[in-house]
Amino acid sequence: MPSISLAGIEDRLSRELVAAWAIAKKDVLIYYLRPGVIVGGVLFPLFMFLAFSAGKLATPVQLVPGLIGITTLFSASSIEPVSVPIERRTETFDRLLAAPISLNALVLGESISGLVYSVLIAAVVFIAALAVLMTPIANIFLIVFGILFSSMCFATLGTLFAAYPTENPGDIISMVNVVRFPLIFISGVFIPIAVLPSFGQMIAYISPLTYANDLIQGGYSGKMTFHPIFDVGMLIVFILIFQVIANYLYKRFND
Amino acid sequence: MHAPPVVFRKVRARSSNSCFKNPHDDDMQAIEVSHLIKRFGTLTAVNDITFSVAAGETFGFLGPNGAGKTTTIRILTGISPPNSGQATIFGHDIMRETVAARQSMGIVSETSNVYTDLTGWQNMMLAAQLYRIGRSEREKNASELLKRFELYERRNDKVHGFSKGMKRRLTIAMGLVNSPRLLFLDEPTSGLDVESNLIIRQMISDLITGGVTVFLTTHNIEEANILCDRVAIIDKGVIAAIDAPEQLKKTIQSVQSIEVAFLDGTSPTRLDELRALPMVNDARKEGDKFKLFTEDPSQVIDAVMAYAHDHHTRVISITTLGPSLEDVFVRLTGLQRGGGISAID
Ligand SMILES: Nc1ncnc2c1ncn2[C@@H]1O[C@H](COP(=O)(O)OP(=O)(O)OP(=O)(O)O)[C@@H](O)[C@H]1O
Ligand SMILES: [Mg+2]
Repeated sequence: MPSISLAGIEDRLSRELVAAWAIAKKDVLIYYLRPGVIVGGVLFPLFMFLAFSAGKLATPVQLVPGLIGITTLFSASSIEPVSVPIERRTETFDRLLAAPISLNALVLGESISGLVYSVLIAAVVFIAALAVLMTPIANIFLIVFGILFSSMCFATLGTLFAAYPTENPGDIISMVNVVRFPLIFISGVFIPIAVLPSFGQMIAYISPLTYANDLIQGGYSGKMTFHPIFDVGMLIVFILIFQVIANYLYKRFND
Repeated sequence: MHAPPVVFRKVRARSSNSCFKNPHDDDMQAIEVSHLIKRFGTLTAVNDITFSVAAGETFGFLGPNGAGKTTTIRILTGISPPNSGQATIFGHDIMRETVAARQSMGIVSETSNVYTDLTGWQNMMLAAQLYRIGRSEREKNASELLKRFELYERRNDKVHGFSKGMKRRLTIAMGLVNSPRLLFLDEPTSGLDVESNLIIRQMISDLITGGVTVFLTTHNIEEANILCDRVAIIDKGVIAAIDAPEQLKKTIQSVQSIEVAFLDGTSPTRLDELRALPMVNDARKEGDKFKLFTEDPSQVIDAVMAYAHDHHTRVISITTLGPSLEDVFVRLTGLQRGGGISAID
């Protein structure tokens, strides 16, 4: 049993964080501009937005919070499903697996790149909406927290799915989509939770997008379904659950 | 048959192993492996292997394709968990103290797994950061290594444009960026040209001199012979033999040979006549020479001289060859000469 001292823990922690950051930075340099990532992370949410705003009575201003919500969902979870299978194929993933860090640090590093990507894109949407539509804002902190925590949550979700041992990004992207699309409809993004059938409302509570959306909607309109601390707490719980499952899966699928 | 059917390729047996040296004083074993087993479905890739590598030693893992060399390295580096058995690296259990065990190792995998979308320099920085090497040290190490591997001029180019040999050299440089005490090299030189080969072999020699423990897999017998203190011959997941190259050769002293050339070249019956000489187990014609396999070279030399005299010709050259590591390999792996020979380059 290694001795547990504060300095030891600090040393270990900083080692893990340095490595996680290095892994994230590598993803930024390599994957942010990949066509697959841009299609899944930028164009998809944009099309969804256009489709919904075209068919709806709602004004674009009313749709902005929803757009930011699905942007974080799609962009945060679009990096790792592409990068991890590619790196399995090129065997650079072995390099990360063989580094003197825990699997948790590897999962965290991978997720941070999704987080940063998502935050950047959500910021662009936020600023564009402000500049073009002059969207009124009730509480900017709720929006910022909403973007940050939902981005981390969905980035970890992407990393979790990428644990599936394939060398083909398409395999993972289609699995992620099976989860991502239904979330849009049951999380109150475009369809208020209140109008969902009771079964749908039950599912809404186990969707992280529900809490992310509540924060972001609340930030714009001032009206919320839950207390903001509850929303953030739920997102943190989801992040931890995804992290633990991802960690387990990477270990499990390691041959 | 007295001896296995043997066809020598143009690999000469070495009369002495130049790099045999005493293990360092440090009596901590760099690698200790006991009863490792790794299965993939019904296939047992590594079947109950046990060995240890002393600190400072250069240890070769020699085996044909699919023998289980890479699988062993993946277990020893903690990438792949074994089904049973134990492995420690400088006393750290690779399964339970993975991070501590990895801290002292450098890994060069079989494929040159570099990030082709990054530059050579960025690759080095990433490799160093995974070991938390501070900025000034990693920049210094990276510059030195890139210079040593003749990649420094190209450090700001994306690796996309690198040749196979350059990528291989970069992979090795990345494996050395944390100044490891133990280096795993999975077929470092296979498929490279002479120049890249020489740079890499020189580097390995330098590391050995510097006291770094090297675990090297190869199917190049000559490479193992030149570089390694000890060699394990692995086949189908089982270690068939493990010893210093010269000791391994001694175990098959019966496969010595005499290479002889005659002034008048050859004649249609000469091969059969030579094969009929006393103490000759087998004979083959190789170019303008004949190769005679025997357990007693000195008697055969006398017989050849007498033969030349009787047939009114003269011997223009005659050489005694000891068994090569290749002979040991062939003997132990039961490889058939001819068809299977492509397994060894
Ligand atoms: N992930 C895996 N899944 C299934 N089988 C595997 C896996 N990895 C290796 N094997 C099998 O295990 C055996 C040993 O493979 P390994 O890669 O260790 O051989 P090797 O000695 O490195 O060969 P080579 O000289 O070709 O590199 C082979 O039969 C291979 O097919
Ligand atoms: Mg191999």
